[in-house]
Amino acid sequence: MSSFLYPMLGTGLSDPQALLADLARSADAKAQESARARRSALAALEPALDAAAAGMADAFAAGGRLFCFGNGGSATDAAGLAALFSSPATGRSLPARSLAADPAVLTALANDVGVEVVFARQLLAHGRSGDIAVGLSTSGGSANVLRALVEGRRVGMLTVGLAGYGGGAMGSCPDLQHCLAVESQSVHRTQESQSAVAHDLWQRVQSRLEGQESE
Amino acid sequence: MTVLGAAAPTTGLPSGLPDDLAAAALVLARRLHAGGTLWCASPSWPHHAQHVAVEFVHPVIVGKPALPAVALAEHDLIATARAHVRSGDVVLVIGTAGDAVARDLVRRAAVWGAGTVWIGAGERPQAGAADHVLWLPDDEMAAHDGRFILLYHLLWELAHVCLEHGGLLEPEPDCDGPVCITCSDEGRLAEVLRTTGSTARVRTPEGEEDVDLSLVGPAEAHDLLVVHAGMAITRLAVTA
Repeated sequence: MSSFLYPMLGTGLSDPQALLADLARSADAKAQESARARRSALAALEPALDAAAAGMADAFAAGGRLFCFGNGGSATDAAGLAALFSSPATGRSLPARSLAADPAVLTALANDVGVEVVFARQLLAHGRSGDIAVGLSTSGGSANVLRALVEGRRVGMLTVGLAGYGGGAMGSCPDLQHCLAVESQSVHRTQESQSAVAHDLWQRVQSRLEGQESE
Repeated sequence: MTVLGAAAPTTGLPSGLPDDLAAAALVLARRLHAGGTLWCASPSWPHHAQHVAVEFVHPVIVGKPALPAVALAEHDLIATARAHVRSGDVVLVIGTAGDAVARDLVRRAAVWGAGTVWIGAGERPQAGAADHVLWLPDDEMAAHDGRFILLYHLLWELAHVCLEHGGLLEPEPDCDGPVCITCSDEGRLAEVLRTTGSTARVRTPEGEEDVDLSLVGPAEAHDLLVVHAGMAITRLAVTA
């Protein structure tokens, strides 16, 4: 083994400590950027968040159920949103679930029809007037998310979208009633902001339901 | 109940966390470069484990290499991990310090020879609980408001920077020289595979070996033992 004979070969050419210091500085700078993006998203979206939360709280109070969906990291964030609504550490448990949770349904629809219908067809089966559809797409342009929002609106669901890049195609979707769009141009910072927006939405829905109960 | 009012933070990361992230990223890059797999688990928030895995397998930034990362299903997590994790892998756990399954997985992963990264918030795990503890001490809401996602996004980004520095990816040289095991007071963790009489076949970071159970008495598969010079000298309490 050459490293036994020449222990400096290959490793002595660069300094791990210098790289680690650079990485730490970069991580802190990106964390600050993320915090700024999350803070400004919540500030800019406050009226939209309030309106969406009001609609969702009314829907839940009337027996509506929440269906969340997205692709990739947005699928996992949709699952996190569903878990936050359905089994929060504090507050009311509300009926919410992710449409990406069941591989049998997902693969059956993707294989037999196409990936563009994996969420819309589920809303066709489950969605009722008074239910809530929340779609997540960092680009705002995921075709299967947009299609599900259109289907959701068609059956009378309340439609809410979380998007990056100023909304993308979601921003001009006529079937989307509440578009919560953040401005970040990075997928990662967008997802972090979307998660903060989703959390804020959950807090507002909880507060409104608590207010309705105490009336 | 008051849930409103937890505003997003305006600062960067807590003191020490940037350095912890950088160190974890370098070790992760080295192990992936050497052929290891990143195993991700979160007993309480399985979607976080899945999000980490998809970042590595299908990068959002075009041109970054796809890397082997897997989210372990939360059902029978320890048994599944035991079947998959190999020496040289990395196990990343997302959970609170009080999460007994997370704690057990991190400890056993070390016995299996995997590097360990523990992401969480709130009260910190005890010192040395994992190789790399990436912690947001102040607020357990970090699991829900984007800050856990930020931490693993940063881990992914920094690991890819490290992977671009080929000269830094060789493993750290081992520091153990020719030392007598008995005199060095060595004590290593081992997990029991099976027993025959007063002998147990155990799994350690170095592989499988037989140890004598005379000092600790009968043992069962999956018990954790401390072994020294071919003898099991202590049995650890199992937490999950």
